[in-house]
Amino acid sequence: MKDVAPMFPRARIPYGTWGSSFFPAWQTSALAEVNIGQFAGEAMNRILGLRKIPKSELEYLIIGSTIPWHWKFWNAPLVASYLDHRIAGYHLEQACATGLQAIVAAGAEVDGGAQDVVGVLTFDRTSDSPAGVFPERRSYERTMVLSDVWDNFGFDPATGKAMIACAGQGARKYHCDRREVDELALHRYDQYFRARASGFLDRVLVPLEVLNIQGRVLGTVDDDLGIRKVDAASLRAMFELDTCVTAGTQTHASDGMATLLVTTRERAVELSTRPEIEIQFIGKTDVRADPSLMPEAPALAVKKLLDRVGLTIDDMAVLKNHNPFAVNDVIFAKYFDFDWRKMNNTGCPLVWGHPQGPTLTRVTIEALEEAVDLGGGYVLVFGCAAGDVGIAAIFRVTDGGDRR
Amino acid sequence: MKSMRQPTLETLGLGTVLEIFQRGKLPLETGDIVDQVFGPSDSRGSLVISGANGIVGAGKTMQLGSRLSPFGVRIVGLDFPDAPDGIGRQYPGLLRAFGRERAGQIMSNIIRLSYDGKNLPSELKGLRPAFLLEAIPEILEIKKKHYQVFRDTFPGIEIRSVTSGFPSSQLGVGIAHPSFPHEINKVWETVEQEPGIAGKLFWSLGLIPVPVSDDWSFVLDVLFCGLTSAALRFHRASNVPYWRIDKYVRRLLGPNPFRAHDAIGAKGANFLTWSCLHDLTEKYGKLFEPTPELVKRKETGQNWYPLNHARPVINWRFDEEENQLFESWVLGPIIQMTSLMLHESRAHFSHINAIGELCAQFRRGIMAVIRGLGADEAIKKVESYHRLHKDAANAAWYPDVFAQIESNAWQQLYVNAEHDGTVGVITLGRESYNSDVNAELNRAIDWLKAERIDRVIVTGDFHFSTQMVGADTSEFYPAVEDPSIGLAISTNWSKTARRLYHEFKVSVAYINGKRCLGGMLELLMHCHYLVAADDATVGMPEVTLPVIPGMEGCHWPLRKAPRENWPKILQLLLTGRSVPADKTVGWLTDFVGSSAETLPVVWKIATGGDHGLEPRPLAEGGLSGIPAEINLPPADSPSMTAARKAILACIRESCETPLADAIAVQARHSADFMSSRDCRKGMIGTEANKVMNI
Repeated sequence: MKDVAPMFPRARIPYGTWGSSFFPAWQTSALAEVNIGQFAGEAMNRILGLRKIPKSELEYLIIGSTIPWHWKFWNAPLVASYLDHRIAGYHLEQACATGLQAIVAAGAEVDGGAQDVVGVLTFDRTSDSPAGVFPERRSYERTMVLSDVWDNFGFDPATGKAMIACAGQGARKYHCDRREVDELALHRYDQYFRARASGFLDRVLVPLEVLNIQGRVLGTVDDDLGIRKVDAASLRAMFELDTCVTAGTQTHASDGMATLLVTTRERAVELSTRPEIEIQFIGKTDVRADPSLMPEAPALAVKKLLDRVGLTIDDMAVLKNHNPFAVNDVIFAKYFDFDWRKMNNTGCPLVWGHPQGPTLTRVTIEALEEAVDLGGGYVLVFGCAAGDVGIAAIFRVTDGGDRR
Repeated sequence: MKSMRQPTLETLGLGTVLEIFQRGKLPLETGDIVDQVFGPSDSRGSLVISGANGIVGAGKTMQLGSRLSPFGVRIVGLDFPDAPDGIGRQYPGLLRAFGRERAGQIMSNIIRLSYDGKNLPSELKGLRPAFLLEAIPEILEIKKKHYQVFRDTFPGIEIRSVTSGFPSSQLGVGIAHPSFPHEINKVWETVEQEPGIAGKLFWSLGLIPVPVSDDWSFVLDVLFCGLTSAALRFHRASNVPYWRIDKYVRRLLGPNPFRAHDAIGAKGANFLTWSCLHDLTEKYGKLFEPTPELVKRKETGQNWYPLNHARPVINWRFDEEENQLFESWVLGPIIQMTSLMLHESRAHFSHINAIGELCAQFRRGIMAVIRGLGADEAIKKVESYHRLHKDAANAAWYPDVFAQIESNAWQQLYVNAEHDGTVGVITLGRESYNSDVNAELNRAIDWLKAERIDRVIVTGDFHFSTQMVGADTSEFYPAVEDPSIGLAISTNWSKTARRLYHEFKVSVAYINGKRCLGGMLELLMHCHYLVAADDATVGMPEVTLPVIPGMEGCHWPLRKAPRENWPKILQLLLTGRSVPADKTVGWLTDFVGSSAETLPVVWKIATGGDHGLEPRPLAEGGLSGIPAEINLPPADSPSMTAARKAILACIRESCETPLADAIAVQARHSADFMSSRDCRKGMIGTEANKVMNI
């Protein structure tokens, strides 16, 4: 493994202190009935408990979400109260980049010496499909109810186009082949189901029992509901919504949360279930692609990041991305002349859904777990976000034997 | 005279239960002790309660006011002029308990005076203060100055502090530390030089004084604050929310420590718990050290449970490993704290046990819990706790005390036996019957038999069992799921009850007032004679729960009653309504009267003297002619209708069966019904589900 300087020398992600809920699809689970901010706070507490991390270890909380939730004004301090741990923190939001931005922001907090143990907690409930009441001055109906979570996907105010149009435009620019896109989607499903069957995801995903107001069990969130096994013929038969884009080759809306900790080297040794494993922040960058070329943006971001840190794509042990459209991965592979079969080995948002805030947090956790299984190496996490944005980050996982 | 272990009555300086029957009178008359404390009726002094508007002060103003007003003792409620009206807030409760007229009388007997904390109001002299119950804030120096002012002004005044933690040696006065809720809880932990005047006064007023040693904090506070502390440490280690820990603690032991704090009032309760643990930490070390969560809540007064709009959305369910961890964190420290209290000889073993049950919601007292575990397992629990909390291992741990676990003092926590060589007395020191009482009763009978005693009186202990409410329904929780457990309980308890009939030449049960219901009544009716004080009521409320009486209540009383009285027994069983004991003479009881009348009669029956009562024979063959129907008021619910039908079927079948086979019949009916849908949907089933299925 090449040696490069970390971007946050002081910050570490303690192995094994993380977890994610399953991501049930829109309106399919008990998550459709709860305040997602409260759910996320309580779920983080439960996950830390299962990981044997007393919540009193937490000094600061960075939360990330993109869809309005009840009492969102009260922000991270309120979510911390749902953990029953009165600490400060703030809310961070950048569409589907939120999960990775929050992790990097936590690294910066630790590296800058502001905090020693920062919790990253990202969550969203697309099931909210919020009926926001916004007295927009120029609205043709003042104080109208806007169901604009869905409209966000359908309309980029900067370009006037829908996200799906970006996917189609990207596919056209890179001359993507529908058969390859379908084949890739099929492979991604296969990767996910193999990871489920192997038990790999049990190290990441935590079943959570949801209560109603009377304290009775409303349901258990213990599956990525909404995922159906697909086959080549059914994918092939699907109607093309835009170039190379069908219902089978794009993601779906879902609900969920994901959390991890960022801390110092010393505290990571204390908190981790396997202190011999060290996880460092190597680098991170963002780019903005040309209008309506969002699927290209991740590749551009990765290129920029690799150039900046002095690594190549071949130096990466694990590649994992947020890929709302299968064409994202085809474009990435073409851009780097890379075999797309070698990435997203344990599943990806194309398959398990798209709750926005926590999406890239879960991607990161799965990627780090995969690197640990491989005995360490560089981990490349990347993805696209609304506004034709690409984000990419590299982590280094080192298995150095027992360092206690 | 011999006894299995020291009678708890003796700790109050009131002799033994056997002596009560020998003398034919109670050890104290209330009028006499009131005269002794407050002076004769023509110059009666008053009871002053300082801090009377606080939670403790106001509650005790009501409790003592209602009991002392018939004797013309004025209650003086003393407090700062700006204290919120705590006494006035008690009035609705008083109204509910006593009705408008009596509540008015009690309130008009209370004189409220304000003072500035330094000078006593001049009107006080005219009220002749004879007894000061101090309930002012927990600041030692202020308390001491307060006593001095009273002593300077009223030399000879009796003073007791309700302090929540200071020892008498620090305060310089005796202690009468009451238990929450203060309006109704009868238990007071008392610290007096010898069995003293306060204990005797409280006992004569129908309260439950419990003498304890003069140490930092009280038995209740060690148990309750200790349990809270243990639960907090578990929370700190596991992140499990307080509300969820409460449910697991309730399933394991009975209390909801965090809910209790919120119910009492988190601001005050958090402070008192912190204060208690802080003092105990100073004295005994880290075992008691308040956690940062408690320190913070002491400062903020914040509730432990989430606000209503933030009711929890995520459940926590323990697997076996988590449950073991939970038990180590919670049981370990409580057992260790108990070892400390035993090492210091803080109180009679039955006192330590009863305080947990009567004041801290323990389903079984801590001594019974430890006895159930056994010495080795108890020690293992503490050692396992020490592996989690190493600082606790360094002090206040006395495993040697568990060597006493086989002693009668520990084995007979609820049931004692005394005898004078001829007559024995079995005393039941628990209001409700459970498997512990059953086992102890068997041992008491064995002991008397071994002592060659064949004449026995069975009664309460004249101390803790101020009433006998029947079976402890928490015993039935597992039987709701598994009828074989119900069958075993019913069969075993019935066999124990029959020993009172079969194994003594004469057995006489005595109901010492208030009430005797359900399983306790079934037990006592097995004696050859049943005598009751005339202020007692008796009843079989099982149908209202609903369950079927399981200790032979469906046939035993009919076998002893004249046929023409059978409808009255059926009324008792099928309506669940209690009746005054004096209405049951001849068909359920054999004699009812004042204590002056009944105590000598009981003694005469027991000793074979001339009591003039005809024994009611027990029909051992099958009975016929059980009424198929009787006039009953409408049932309260469909489940009560079902229970009536089931009880009637049990009555008919168990009565028609010869006595030798009747236990099996009744037990089968009882067990089957307990696992039925009607019982599961009733009070016991609902409680069992709430407490056990979490």
